[in-house]
Amino acid sequence: MRAFWDLRWFFWQERFKYSFGILLLIIVALLSLLPPYVVGVVVDAIEQNRLTTGMLAGWMGAMIAAGICMYVLRYIWRIMIFGSSLHLGRTLRYNLYQHFTRMSSDFFGRKRTGDLMAHATNDITAVQMMAGQGVLTIVDSLVMGGFVVLAMAVGISWQLTLITLLPMPLMALLTSWYGHLLHQRFGAAQQSFSQLNNRTQESISGVKVTKTFGYEQEDIEAFDAQSRDVVNKNERVARIDALFDPTITLIIGVCYLLAIGFGAGYVNDGSITIGQLTTFSVYLGMLIWPMLAFGWFFNIIERGHASYDRIRDLMAERTDITDQKAGVEDVPAGAVQIDIDEFYYPRSETKALHDIHASVQPGQTIGIVGRTGSGKTTLLRLLLRELKSGDGAITIGGTPAEAYYLDTYRLAFGNVPQEHFLFSMTLADNIAFSNPEATQQDIQRAAGLAAIHDDIVALPYGYATAVGERGVTLSGGQKQRISIARALLQNPEILILDDALSAVDANTEQQILEALKRERRGKTTFIVTHRMSTVKEADAVWVMAHGTIVENGSHRALMEAKGIYAEMVKREELKAQVERGNR
Amino acid sequence: MLHEDKVLTKQEQRAIVKRLLKYAGVHKRLLAFACTFLVIGVGAELLSPYLVKIFIDSYVTPGVFPADELTWLAAIFAAATVLSAVMVYFHTYWFQRIALKSIQQIRVDVFSSVEGASMRFYDQTPSGALVSRITNDTERIRELYMEVLSTFIQNGVFLVGVLIAMFFLDVRLAAAAILIMPLLLMLMMLYRRYSARYYGEMSGKLSRLNTKINESLQGMSVIQLFRQESRMKQEFSGINDAHYEAGLKSMKIDGLLLRPAIDLVSVLALVGVLSYFGILSMEGAVQVGVIYAFVNYFERFFEPVNEIMQQMSLYQQSIVSAGRVFHLMDVTGQESAVVRGRQTGQASESGEIEFDHVTFSYDGEHPVLRDINLSVKEGETIAIVGHTGSGKSSIINLLLRFYEHDAGTIFLGGKDLQRWPEEALRRHVGLVLQDPFLFTGTVRENIAMHNHGLSDEEVRQAAAFVGADQFIEALPDQYDEQVGERGSSFSNGEKQLITFARTVAHDPKVLVLDEATANIDSESEAVIQQALANLVENRTTIMIAHRLSTIRHADQIIVLHQGEIAERGTHRELLASGGLYEKMYRLQHENEEVL
Repeated sequence: MRAFWDLRWFFWQERFKYSFGILLLIIVALLSLLPPYVVGVVVDAIEQNRLTTGMLAGWMGAMIAAGICMYVLRYIWRIMIFGSSLHLGRTLRYNLYQHFTRMSSDFFGRKRTGDLMAHATNDITAVQMMAGQGVLTIVDSLVMGGFVVLAMAVGISWQLTLITLLPMPLMALLTSWYGHLLHQRFGAAQQSFSQLNNRTQESISGVKVTKTFGYEQEDIEAFDAQSRDVVNKNERVARIDALFDPTITLIIGVCYLLAIGFGAGYVNDGSITIGQLTTFSVYLGMLIWPMLAFGWFFNIIERGHASYDRIRDLMAERTDITDQKAGVEDVPAGAVQIDIDEFYYPRSETKALHDIHASVQPGQTIGIVGRTGSGKTTLLRLLLRELKSGDGAITIGGTPAEAYYLDTYRLAFGNVPQEHFLFSMTLADNIAFSNPEATQQDIQRAAGLAAIHDDIVALPYGYATAVGERGVTLSGGQKQRISIARALLQNPEILILDDALSAVDANTEQQILEALKRERRGKTTFIVTHRMSTVKEADAVWVMAHGTIVENGSHRALMEAKGIYAEMVKREELKAQVERGNR
Repeated sequence: MLHEDKVLTKQEQRAIVKRLLKYAGVHKRLLAFACTFLVIGVGAELLSPYLVKIFIDSYVTPGVFPADELTWLAAIFAAATVLSAVMVYFHTYWFQRIALKSIQQIRVDVFSSVEGASMRFYDQTPSGALVSRITNDTERIRELYMEVLSTFIQNGVFLVGVLIAMFFLDVRLAAAAILIMPLLLMLMMLYRRYSARYYGEMSGKLSRLNTKINESLQGMSVIQLFRQESRMKQEFSGINDAHYEAGLKSMKIDGLLLRPAIDLVSVLALVGVLSYFGILSMEGAVQVGVIYAFVNYFERFFEPVNEIMQQMSLYQQSIVSAGRVFHLMDVTGQESAVVRGRQTGQASESGEIEFDHVTFSYDGEHPVLRDINLSVKEGETIAIVGHTGSGKSSIINLLLRFYEHDAGTIFLGGKDLQRWPEEALRRHVGLVLQDPFLFTGTVRENIAMHNHGLSDEEVRQAAAFVGADQFIEALPDQYDEQVGERGSSFSNGEKQLITFARTVAHDPKVLVLDEATANIDSESEAVIQQALANLVENRTTIMIAHRLSTIRHADQIIVLHQGEIAERGTHRELLASGGLYEKMYRLQHENEEVL
């Protein structure tokens, strides 16, 4: 019940629809008592030979009217109650999505996409079920069950009702016991199935090994054995599952026997009529559903409750990157000053960065090199405020980065991340991602600068070509250049290329670098790369190792220093020679 | 290879159902029993209202209650109820059992078919899609069998039973009842038509919604950096609303045509029954019991209809899954037939290898190996080096017959490789991969694999031979230690030692090492090197190596460049010549000193 209480905000918000829906459910329950009653009346009239055409027509008319009423009302309460539950699903899904857009990279680093997806789909469906089917089952089992028993006891005979319903609790008891067993066995069957799933996964991943040893047949036999286990576990489920119907048949059969047997006695002594007995037996059949619904209700609530708790936990997450109260509204511009004494990732004990002191004048191009894990990306993510730095560790134009509003702060940046990510839209929309209003001219200009225009025009649908699962397959280099075009479109004050040219060949890279130099005069650019030739013309190169800058200077100065940088350049030349086949 | 998300035509659907029924048809005996029990059960269940009718007409109405006869009647009623309960239990269980067994056979069939497919197929097909076909899609078919097909059969029989019982009671009224059938059929057709449309729309919207959430979650940093949160929210809201509308629509269709409609028809049917008997009673005597029985039968008549209709939308979805599974079975089935067809010939005991003017391409257009000639004598070690894309791995793919070359001949032990029988080839050539692959199970099982003839001692010896015994015997359960998920509890070096032991245990004549030492940390390097030396002894060996220090002692080194042999000779000769190999060697050595 606490689950319903937790959702009270929603029930209150939809109180009219729910009240109306429940009212209709009650009316339907009342109306559904009519047909069996009419059956009794008509049977009695026939038996006593006092049925007239008028009487018959009257009752039949009433029944048809009731039938049509029920049809309409059943349709309307579905819209009221199930419609509201769909509404709840929509609201929760939107809130969750909105919440996701506010979360920082720290959040997405901690949660797995698959889990978040499960919350946004399965959990919301379970809560939706609770607000729809859950309400229906509890109302129907109480109202319908109550009315039918009342109609039997008050309308016909309370003694007979008592006698007849005697075995009913046994049905509730047995079915709930079956439910318990079923739950256990179903768990075992699920587990066996997931083992089969893992096995299959393993067989497919390890197929090369299996084929090398020629063990395909043996592997198939092992799969066969596991899939047999799935069958066995499921048969155990089926053995319980098959008990429900016979149990209901048996118990209802006993109820009927009692009703007809004792009922005949009451008919004989005149306390009820034969028609009432017929009505009684139809009512008896109407009790099956409320009994089952009651059991069902608890299942729905249990699942919905757990799901809603998970959703609430997720919604309670707060982002670590927030705006200060009185922020600076300007778009950042000017020199960048970095003074990071030390930086740890949240919940981490190892120092990711330390003792970084560097400044960048507007219009400079900075190359950043160093091994994987040396802290290059971390430094840039701090600059982008994807990670939270210490107070005043990074200033732009003399103002601490945190002082800017996040929204305007990011306006200054164009970022091309290491892992290129394109959306399943057209190429034009992907490039114009930062500004959907961009003209075709702007888009083509950006694409031209990123040296991707010719590639795009060569595609069957040109800029209208769709990307993604159902769209065209682009090479890694093409995706990188589209990401670059996307960042260039907004002509940012500060451009960051985080190893964004790794899959682009050397000639194209030169082309892009020249275009950047030409177009981005007076604007700041950071280029992270593993290729030394990329940063040759940079104003300064920062060589990073173990979380700090170990060398800082122009290409020429660093070459003369004969340090790590010079060594890296030498090695690259040798490598290039090998790749060319010693020519 | 697995794009088949198209709409199925009626014929295709029929073909799929036929194939599904064929799988169930295998279990003839069980099926016959289940059907017999179903018929008996339905008969027994329908007997009880008839007994009540007799009771009412013969005893209650006249007001006579002879104890003997009534006891009999009650006994028969009880017996019929019990019989029906027992029958229901067994036929429900048996139908489920048939479904489970059929689905198991489908699973094994599709798995065998996939397992038999060529490496080319695996290289081209994402493994996630394959796993999902073999498990999830077949699970969908299970629903088709258990929920849909058995619902159709059981409720269909029940409907027929009710109709027969009605005819037994009153021919004219039963004939009238049949008139409801077209009405119900119309309702079904209508529902099928609209539900297919709206459920289709609904699932389309749902998949768009999920794609959007998934994509947004993955690209959230891009969205945030380009400050497009509000636009994305708006777009999402649009899709979310469309999904909601579609959900509302299919809910309305359900409300209009499903349960409420059937309930309305049942009330109308009741009106018909009562009117019929009412009018009849004005002309002559009517037995009240017959009315009771008819009302009772009608009550039971509509539940099966409800059930059948509710399964209809499920039917559409699962038939698509079934189509996908059968498609995969057919695609892979054809492939393996091609590969198996050609292997008739003799094996050889020798480990000699010769490539005679071998040319090969993956796509038939761009050759990755051009005119390769090389020969390895029995017991020799040959090393192949070259940078990424030079064609090193293709040589292995050909030697293991994972792919077939386009021109030239490969001889293994003096016999044409293409004519080697499959089993003999697999016993003859062993492969160690760059990423050691461990299966779930114990260490022992990973060494012996499916070779059950291997004794514990032989497994231990194999491990000792490569020096894996030390760390294995230090494990809590030694050889019975469970290998965690993909061997995650072991270091890469330890995993590789286990796969070495696995290879030794199978004692191949020819050994192929595909960058087997590439991912080894420097601590285990020494152990691995020693193991490798033991492994190579007395075997013809082909090594692909990235780390040149590991191939110094090879009898022959071949340097590949763009699919051709650029240099060949011993380590010393190649270093002295100052060519490509010498550059590569220098690169690696200086590599280790920098940083």
